[in-house]
Amino acid sequence: MDLKVLNATIKKEFQIRLHAYPMSFMVGCILTSFYTTFGAWLMYHYFFRKRLAVDFTELAGTSDYMSYAIVGSLMYLFVVRTCLNVSRTLITELREGTLESLMLAPFKRTSYFLGNMLLQTFMTFGETAIATLIGVFFGLRIHDFSLLKFVVATLLSLYGFFGLSLMLGCLMLYARDTYISQNTLFTAMFLVCGITFPKEYLPSWLQLIGSIIPVTDALTLMRGALLGGLSTESFMLVSLRVFILGTIYIVVGFPLMKQVERIALEKMEG
Amino acid sequence: MIEVHNLKKTYDVKRRQNFFHSTREKVEAVKDISMKIEAGQIVGLLGINGAGKTTTIKMLTTLIEPTSGSYMFDGMDALMNPHQVKKQINMIAGGERMIYWRLTAYENLWYYGQLYGIENNELRRRIDKLLKLVGLEDKANLPVETFSKGMKQRLQIARGMINNPKYIFLDEPTIGLDAVVTQELHEEIKNLAKEQGKGILLTSHYLSEVEELCDYIYMVNNGELVVEGTKKELTDFVFTKKYYAFSVQGMDEAVVAKLRNHLLILDGDSSVELEGRTANISSRLELSSILAEFAVREGLVINELHKLEPSLEQAVIKLSKNIEREEKGIA
Repeated sequence: MDLKVLNATIKKEFQIRLHAYPMSFMVGCILTSFYTTFGAWLMYHYFFRKRLAVDFTELAGTSDYMSYAIVGSLMYLFVVRTCLNVSRTLITELREGTLESLMLAPFKRTSYFLGNMLLQTFMTFGETAIATLIGVFFGLRIHDFSLLKFVVATLLSLYGFFGLSLMLGCLMLYARDTYISQNTLFTAMFLVCGITFPKEYLPSWLQLIGSIIPVTDALTLMRGALLGGLSTESFMLVSLRVFILGTIYIVVGFPLMKQVERIALEKMEG
Repeated sequence: MIEVHNLKKTYDVKRRQNFFHSTREKVEAVKDISMKIEAGQIVGLLGINGAGKTTTIKMLTTLIEPTSGSYMFDGMDALMNPHQVKKQINMIAGGERMIYWRLTAYENLWYYGQLYGIENNELRRRIDKLLKLVGLEDKANLPVETFSKGMKQRLQIARGMINNPKYIFLDEPTIGLDAVVTQELHEEIKNLAKEQGKGILLTSHYLSEVEELCDYIYMVNNGELVVEGTKKELTDFVFTKKYYAFSVQGMDEAVVAKLRNHLLILDGDSSVELEGRTANISSRLELSSILAEFAVREGLVINELHKLEPSLEQAVIKLSKNIEREEKGIA
């Protein structure tokens, strides 16, 4: 790990945001969280008339649907913001004409991506805090808070999202596209990762897709830390799954990113 | 010294036939290039668009890997040690790329300095020195997006020198710059090579720039080396004849006819054309003394007699036309 590059990348990204922070983008993300929560609230109150499936409590680990859905939408906001920004770093460099000068320098990519991730995480915490206040208005209640579990869930979530960002970044840089790849992934995540309903309600093949995206298990951990309903043994087992999934994504993602960087630089010519 | 042999780069290019179908084909961007860049030397890489210049530079800067060939960097295998090479090189490209527009000039140099692992105190000194060198010390804390094209280019030059590289690759560095800035940059390039001993590879569409700056020139076409040498060697290669402007008092068609007959006896390929009061002469022979003797013998007073040195631009244009003719002939 090159701390010099890590620190410099955090500082650079912060300075760029300081000079030109996309305020509308931040508002857009908070609004997405608001719409998700509001949509769940409308459905719960007016469509389902507060009636839940008999197995909901068993599958969700809580009978409080609104808290379940709001934690899901907050996590969704968090993953969208961190994944999106980390995965877009290299394609942004390509579009802004700095990819070549960056690749000319002899530095470790790990520190560069981690720097981007850390800054984005810091900024997303602020946005998530605002979205949490909105969530409280819609009925978010923290039933069984465990600080230790919350810290573990947060750290493991970041680890898993970092791996996911690398893979999405590879796809974006290879396809030279951000909109189709990010929107496809985020829509799929919303559907299969249990954001507003337990993934067990989905067909088994969709559940399988959900289980290979670390967001699903990260969300289970976060709900366990905030709403309870997850035994310590289950929490540890799910934690291990997030760690393994994140590791696989990272181990595959870094060498793949190197390949994609090479292809991107060649595509600029060829 | 940088030394490459038989460098080749083939791209796998996808060509779209229609909305549903595309085919893949191999495109040889660089077919066979061998060259050397020594410390303190400015080497020119010339070629028409699509000749393979930028691909060659990208291979030399280790941004892309060659399909085949060898690349030695100060005795080290550069293809096996790209990380080591990157520490000792940098690249400056024309246009407004390679810098962050939303950062200030100082922030840009600081960030790149960090990527090169330069110690903080040394980096501060270097940034101050470079900003002064490129005349941006008063604009250090302004965002680059407020800069003019010339200022952005000057900042890019500072960025390209932040790691004090041993070899610098200049890809069309003066494109779009005004004459004054271009001249200042030329002086700086000369200084980098001659005073600081840096090896420089320059590609440029401005042949006068290559002529002014380069000690040695490689000319490529369709990814292959066509000719190499000093400016004189290149012009001698292209222009096998020597050219003279010759004028005497009372120059007319009769004098020209007499001169033409005299020269044809000495060299059957020589030619004499009258343009105004001056005879434009071409011949394979060295004619200065022959022309002087002709004037004395005929009792003519010489107004003008000088050998015309063809410019690099003329040589490149002639060479390009020759190549074009050959290619059409083959086709």
